[in-house]
Amino acid sequence: MIYFHQVNKYYGDFHVLKDINLTINQGEVVVIIGPSGSGKSTLVRCINRLETISSGELIVDGVKVNDKQININELRRNIGMVFQHFNLYPHMTVLQNITLAPRKVLGMSEKEANDIAMYYLEKVGIPDKANAYPSALSGGQQQRVAIARGLAMKPKIMLFDEPTSALDPETIGEVLDVMKQLAKEGMTMVVVTHEMGFAREVADRIVFMDQGRILEEAPPEEFFAAPKEERARVFLSRILNH
Amino acid sequence: MLRFSILVEHWDLYMQGFGHTILASVLALIGSLALGTIIAIFRIAPIRPLNWIGTAYVEFIRNIPLVLIVFVFFMGLPAIGIRFDSFTAGTLGLMVYTAAFIAEAIRSGIQAVPKGQMEAARSSGLTYLQAMRYVILPQAVKIVIPPLGNQFINLVKNSSVLGVIAGLDLMYFGDLISSKTFVTFDVYIFVALFYLVLTIPLSLGVGYLERRLLKAR
Repeated sequence: MIYFHQVNKYYGDFHVLKDINLTINQGEVVVIIGPSGSGKSTLVRCINRLETISSGELIVDGVKVNDKQININELRRNIGMVFQHFNLYPHMTVLQNITLAPRKVLGMSEKEANDIAMYYLEKVGIPDKANAYPSALSGGQQQRVAIARGLAMKPKIMLFDEPTSALDPETIGEVLDVMKQLAKEGMTMVVVTHEMGFAREVADRIVFMDQGRILEEAPPEEFFAAPKEERARVFLSRILNH
Repeated sequence: MLRFSILVEHWDLYMQGFGHTILASVLALIGSLALGTIIAIFRIAPIRPLNWIGTAYVEFIRNIPLVLIVFVFFMGLPAIGIRFDSFTAGTLGLMVYTAAFIAEAIRSGIQAVPKGQMEAARSSGLTYLQAMRYVILPQAVKIVIPPLGNQFINLVKNSSVLGVIAGLDLMYFGDLISSKTFVTFDVYIFVALFYLVLTIPLSLGVGYLERRLLKAR
């Protein structure tokens, strides 16, 4: 589904991603962890070309992402993305936020789009907020709307870029629950997070990154029990024992 | 004491000037809004050559005196066979000049919308133009309206440049009345009052909009 082969990325002189090789299969939940500045977010943002790669090969859903010939909008409609800061459209209601892309990209009628939006709002547990504006919602509610907005396009892949990092501790759980449910239903998910509990419980695979490199790739039980890399051990001990 | 007899006796001339000032301002406003929006889009579109054109326009026009731009339309273009009457030349000059400032106001308004908005819109599959239209511009408008209002007030005042090329505006008729009556002070006080009749309500209106937009999220 997602295939990185020898991918490198530079910001000017700064080498952000170094020789990335990674394959993510359909239905897999891959959680990327690592210290900040290690390139996790950049890696995820390359998948829908919010960032371009400098060299190597990146194939998503059978499409060479950095090929100039491809229609990037066509690829993007199959990839939902959830951001750290939600990025809901503040001038639109929750319902309008969710229906914008289905209507304008997929050409759905308003009625059809509204039905789908309501379906996903039920799913994330806040159908009563359909006509509210984002500013009237809590962080957790906003992030659930953002997830519903992504799902309404019926994507093949969902990307999560630190979806709980900007949340109140009290509302993190409600967002993680929605993500767990999604994982159970077989969605292909790439998640950047610092939530180790979630990673342990939901991930099929943990990818550990540091300084632009993938240092370790392992199933969660293996990774958390005995990380092979020294850097990963240090990271885990810092994050778990404090 | 002001000689109101001057105002009464030359009411028709004042009114002609007042009308032309309003007309020039409104026409230049509409024109500069359209042109300014295009230039602003040039400046921010992800296409390099357009960026250059946009930047060049803004930097050139903003840094030349308005009178000179009006002279180009009134005396420069006729030299290559394009001829305008003085009112048209003045209004065109005003429009071209104001467009540079409006472009800057719009550009900074668009760029004040957080980057994540464009990213969210694009990552859902919307094209650049769709994202602009449905997500960015509606938010930018709220940011842009107060500075645009101020530009409009400036535009009304700047329209007095028409007087320099006999453009039939308030300033021109002020000059005319003054040279007919040999009265300067009173004549121009009335001219100033006519400008205030236009600009004070505008200024209050801009203030009102600003407060309302601040409240609305």
